[in-house]
Amino acid sequence: MVSEYRLIRMQKDLARSLKKPAAKRSWIMLIDVDKCIGCRACQVSCKAENVSPPGVTYRVVKEVEDGEYPNVNRIFMPTNCQQCDNPPCIKGLPEDAYTKREDGILVFHYEKMKGEKIFKKVQSQCPYTAVYRDTGAFYTANTPELEPYETRICYEYGKEWVRKGAGLSPIGAVRKCHFCLHRLESEMLPACVSTCVGGAMYFGDKNDSQSLVNELQKKRQTLRINESEGTEPRVIYLTGTIASVSVCAKCHG
Amino acid sequence: MKKHKQSSPGNLEEINIGRRKFLKCSAFLGGSAMLAGQLGLAKSLMQKAASGELTSVEAYALARAENIIYSVCLQCHTDCPIKAKLLKGVLVKIDGPAYSPQSMLQQVKYSTSPFDASKIDGKVCPKGQAGVQSLYDPYRIVKVLKRSGPRGSNQWQTIPFNQAIDEIIQGGYLFKNVKGEEKRYVTGLKEIRAVRNGKVMNTLADDAKKVARKQMSLAAFKNRHAAHLGKLIDPDHPDLGPLNNRFVFLAGRIEHGRKEFSQRWLNNAFGSVNWYEHVAICEQSHHVAYKMATNKYSNGKWSGGKDNLKPDALNSRFIIFFGTGAFEANFGPPPMAEKITEGIVSGRLKIAVIDPRFSKTAAKASMWIPIRPGTDAALALGMIRWIIENKRYDAGFLTNANKAAAAADGEPSWSTAAWLVRIEKNGTPGRYLRASDLAMGDDDTFVAYKDGKAIPVKPYSRNNPSEGELQVDTTIRNIRVKSAFQLLWESASSKSIEEWANICGTDPDMIKTLAKTFTSYGKQAVVEFYRGAVKHTNGYYNAQALISLNLLVGNPDWKGGLSAGGGHWHESGGKPGNPFNLKSMHPDMPGSFGLKLSREKTGYEETTLFKGYPAKRPFYPLSSNLYQEVLPSANAGYPYPVKAVFIHKGTPGFSVPAAQNQLNVLADVNAVPLLFACDIVIGESSMYADYIFPDLSVWERWGTPHVTPDVQTRTSKIRQPIVAPMTGTVKVFDERIPLCMEAVMLSIAEKLDLPGYGKNGLGENWDFTRMEDFYLKMAANIAFGDKADAAVPEVDEKEMKLFLRSRRRLTKSIFDSRRWEKAVGSDKWRQTVYVLNRGGRYEDFNRAYEGKYLRHKFAGVFSLYAEPVAAAKQSMTGRPFSGIALFESIQDSLGRPVNQAGYDLHLITYKDILGGQSRTLPNDYWMSEIMPENYVLMNSKDADRLGISDEELVKVVSKSNPRGEWDLRNGRKIPVQGRAKVVEGIRPGTVAVSWHFGHWAYGSADVVLNGQTIPGDSRRRKGLCPNVVLLTDPFLKDVCMTDPVGGSASFYDTHVKLIKV
Repeated sequence: MVSEYRLIRMQKDLARSLKKPAAKRSWIMLIDVDKCIGCRACQVSCKAENVSPPGVTYRVVKEVEDGEYPNVNRIFMPTNCQQCDNPPCIKGLPEDAYTKREDGILVFHYEKMKGEKIFKKVQSQCPYTAVYRDTGAFYTANTPELEPYETRICYEYGKEWVRKGAGLSPIGAVRKCHFCLHRLESEMLPACVSTCVGGAMYFGDKNDSQSLVNELQKKRQTLRINESEGTEPRVIYLTGTIASVSVCAKCHG
Repeated sequence: MKKHKQSSPGNLEEINIGRRKFLKCSAFLGGSAMLAGQLGLAKSLMQKAASGELTSVEAYALARAENIIYSVCLQCHTDCPIKAKLLKGVLVKIDGPAYSPQSMLQQVKYSTSPFDASKIDGKVCPKGQAGVQSLYDPYRIVKVLKRSGPRGSNQWQTIPFNQAIDEIIQGGYLFKNVKGEEKRYVTGLKEIRAVRNGKVMNTLADDAKKVARKQMSLAAFKNRHAAHLGKLIDPDHPDLGPLNNRFVFLAGRIEHGRKEFSQRWLNNAFGSVNWYEHVAICEQSHHVAYKMATNKYSNGKWSGGKDNLKPDALNSRFIIFFGTGAFEANFGPPPMAEKITEGIVSGRLKIAVIDPRFSKTAAKASMWIPIRPGTDAALALGMIRWIIENKRYDAGFLTNANKAAAAADGEPSWSTAAWLVRIEKNGTPGRYLRASDLAMGDDDTFVAYKDGKAIPVKPYSRNNPSEGELQVDTTIRNIRVKSAFQLLWESASSKSIEEWANICGTDPDMIKTLAKTFTSYGKQAVVEFYRGAVKHTNGYYNAQALISLNLLVGNPDWKGGLSAGGGHWHESGGKPGNPFNLKSMHPDMPGSFGLKLSREKTGYEETTLFKGYPAKRPFYPLSSNLYQEVLPSANAGYPYPVKAVFIHKGTPGFSVPAAQNQLNVLADVNAVPLLFACDIVIGESSMYADYIFPDLSVWERWGTPHVTPDVQTRTSKIRQPIVAPMTGTVKVFDERIPLCMEAVMLSIAEKLDLPGYGKNGLGENWDFTRMEDFYLKMAANIAFGDKADAAVPEVDEKEMKLFLRSRRRLTKSIFDSRRWEKAVGSDKWRQTVYVLNRGGRYEDFNRAYEGKYLRHKFAGVFSLYAEPVAAAKQSMTGRPFSGIALFESIQDSLGRPVNQAGYDLHLITYKDILGGQSRTLPNDYWMSEIMPENYVLMNSKDADRLGISDEELVKVVSKSNPRGEWDLRNGRKIPVQGRAKVVEGIRPGTVAVSWHFGHWAYGSADVVLNGQTIPGDSRRRKGLCPNVVLLTDPFLKDVCMTDPVGGSASFYDTHVKLIKV
């Protein structure tokens, strides 16, 4: 195994990059399909971190079964907003509705991203099914008690949101993964990365030659989804040990 | 001991915060005080944020140490340490602590400041993450409930805590308002507790033992104890013990901390032997087999074995998982999974998975062998045959017969492979040959054989190495003997590899390839197994065969081999460094004695009940915690009936195989005249209780769960309160404490005046009036460690402030720093805070290994042949058990094959990683959104044959339950039906249903509370639970089938039919 543990190494990578001006950082996420065990800790962690309501799930782990008994394979495929450098989802949106940051993260300005119409537009333009609309639902709405974890402050994009009562609210807005920008700014890895039980998640700065993400990209077979459409996604899949690129290509050729 | 004060009933529980209107039943409207407070905070921070005053760290409150408390999860028994993040006293996010080896492949140094650790999050599984939702479950109960209708009717009245305790203690016509129970007198705990004095208890116990051993006549016993005969269950059978035993504490997933707390209360203070946890429905045969393999020999006895060993997966090169994996259940995904995935991707490791279901672990395996359920020993013996025939075993390791021989080879452990076993006249292997049998040594010296000569074997000798030949079958001084290894060979060679393969339903070449691969990595190959291999009537022998494979490659204590784990510091005390020996801190302890209701750890032949074979019900001389036997035995009145049962954190009516048998007893007021429960919700079993006391959830309370041997560094985890209690506050021993299991026990102790509680309850100057008096002493023992001068540092001022600051939202009923300090003494307080600030004590990662070895070693003898097993008998047939691993077909309690003709599909169950016990799926909504229901998983070939399509609704029926339904005994019947999921990844002829769905209580059902109906949540009713169709023993007819050696309840021996609905 590597001499320094994945999470500690990436923590240090992160601290190093944060010392640079934002414009010099370039965040990328690596997902090792061979190491993903389909546990969905990332999915639940993301929901807790970002207080996402029913129907809004920034991180989804898809699963397919391949082959015929007894030669079977199961592949787990985590997906989320790919923070495309050429994002198709924003075509035709008002310019103040989003910011494509210099570090690569695509920010949605909730107050300018509300309503069914804009959601339909963004949804139809995203080839990664990565956007959701916060319809104002709660998990515990029709139970004896609306529970406090659903109405607590959430820190997305470095602001403070609450889904009930006065204050900034994400309800009605188009929501998606933002690489846990609020955590990054506090020197913490995205929630899906730190909680990953199979150790499949990596995060770091493409512009940092010492970073673990750069080291891994060189070592492993990589795949970006829908690359041919020119979206330039910042999520890169590692593969080649168990799930070969050809298996991935059945769905993502 | 202090005289208890009579507090007026119901004077205090109303004072607690009012967020739980549910069971206050006054209203469901409006925001609670806590919510309003939280919104206030939001506003002020937002004003700050709007004006740009916040720094990013300030803005993200969850990065700050003051908003973090370290504790321990219990969404499954892996008990991962957790880093609980709080906002205004609300638990909002759970992550893995940087300190924890279960959350980090390499944990940070233990000395790391909590201020630095706050930004490092480690791993937690989805269940652990969703702990937030188990804590804030809208169906949690917060007040004491008493049933106002018949058992199971779900009609409840809230009553004051003191009233409930008084009724339970005093008994009487407690349910005269319930139709049919007007004249039913209930015996209270006061009357059940017949023997109250330790001296009387001890004398009765000693003499009862003599009667059972025929060292004292019954008449002499009666004569001597004439004054106390009325206090015994049956004066003609004094070995059944006192009437006190008619009170049973039936716990489920109880853990260290609460285990010791409740045993002290029931066994040592109340005086009943009937304390249970759920191990027999969990993994008991696995534990019994490992214990039998690792028992130490001392003074003529084998004891003290370890119940769980695991691969050092971080360094293994080949692991075979039998009936388990690393990514779903087991012990458990966060500590194990990354060791496996990292190994596979780096090329270090390959794995094989033996499971009829293509599990998530199988998805990463280089070999998947879907055998017939329950044939694990056949596969293992086929491998053993091949390994021995091809001489692929580690002969060096196996020939070492004692410590000195092992040491000479650089082996920390050794085995009994070369030890000689006496063969009885009928050809059955008996006990190990002793040197005394050959007049060449004493009773504690064993014998090996080399170059035609008997060699004395002193197992633990450091100076006189003994080695023996492996295949010995000879006669010495007219005694026929065989080596243990020879016995294993005979068992393995009783069938050809083709025949073994036939039994498993696999290909002989598959067995050979697996055996060859397993023996190609030296000591870095390990067999790992869990429930799938052992929850059968042949579970123990399957386990023993699998452990034998590990011994053949000599892997114990080697890096990458079989590990006993890093262990823990002893929280109960008794080691030189520990300040508190909690076991001895019990003044005037009454203690307890007698045969347990489940007839365990005692041979039938050793009791006065012995009347030839079969016994009326089975005895389990080698096992313990026969959870499935408790209620049926009480109902059958064998060995005796009961008066009162306290169920806690377990649900026999739902989770035990053939659960209808359990439900029938729970619902029957004659079988269990007084039934009370302590639960966080109204669960599937607690809904039958006469009284339910609300419990604290795991995020509000204490515990000291032990660590899995998958972790190679010493680890003592401390579960501690993270949030203020949601349950009501009650007054016990003049202290205000939250309603919970401990409050029930302390209150009963106070009112019954049990020795060992109240002022000086733990000895001179050590009061026992709050649970912290007990748990903090455990924390102090951990802080000071086992050895003298092994204490952690004292916290500095900054850390002390952090300790107080991070607990600023805890109420006084659960956190009072002065009271806590008093519980351990000021001289130990700062060290105790050091461990509390880190959620326990963790050895640094650099202490895991020592060259080629694990640093924490078992370093002892492994029994290939288990002498205590060979010495015991199956109580229904009188036949001796086997000391060597063998393959046994599925049998009922009388040892007969079970006919299930006409039922064409073999049913297995499993856990998805999203589900653990009841508190996970489907009751945690983040997870049930991902997996709203479970399925009947079946192969496409079976689906085609039966004309069942994907998603089609089917009902599961069996020979024991041809209607395929639960009868709740309250007019409701629940069909065992769910949707078919047609896949390739399951062995044809097998169907699998995951455990965790199919609830009919736990917030899924309507309940009537104080006359008002509270509707259940339909999301919580989804899916199916097949436990009720699992086989009932055809002879006993009131309990599931059971492994007679290991005690495991049979989960995977039932054949079913699927009926389209």
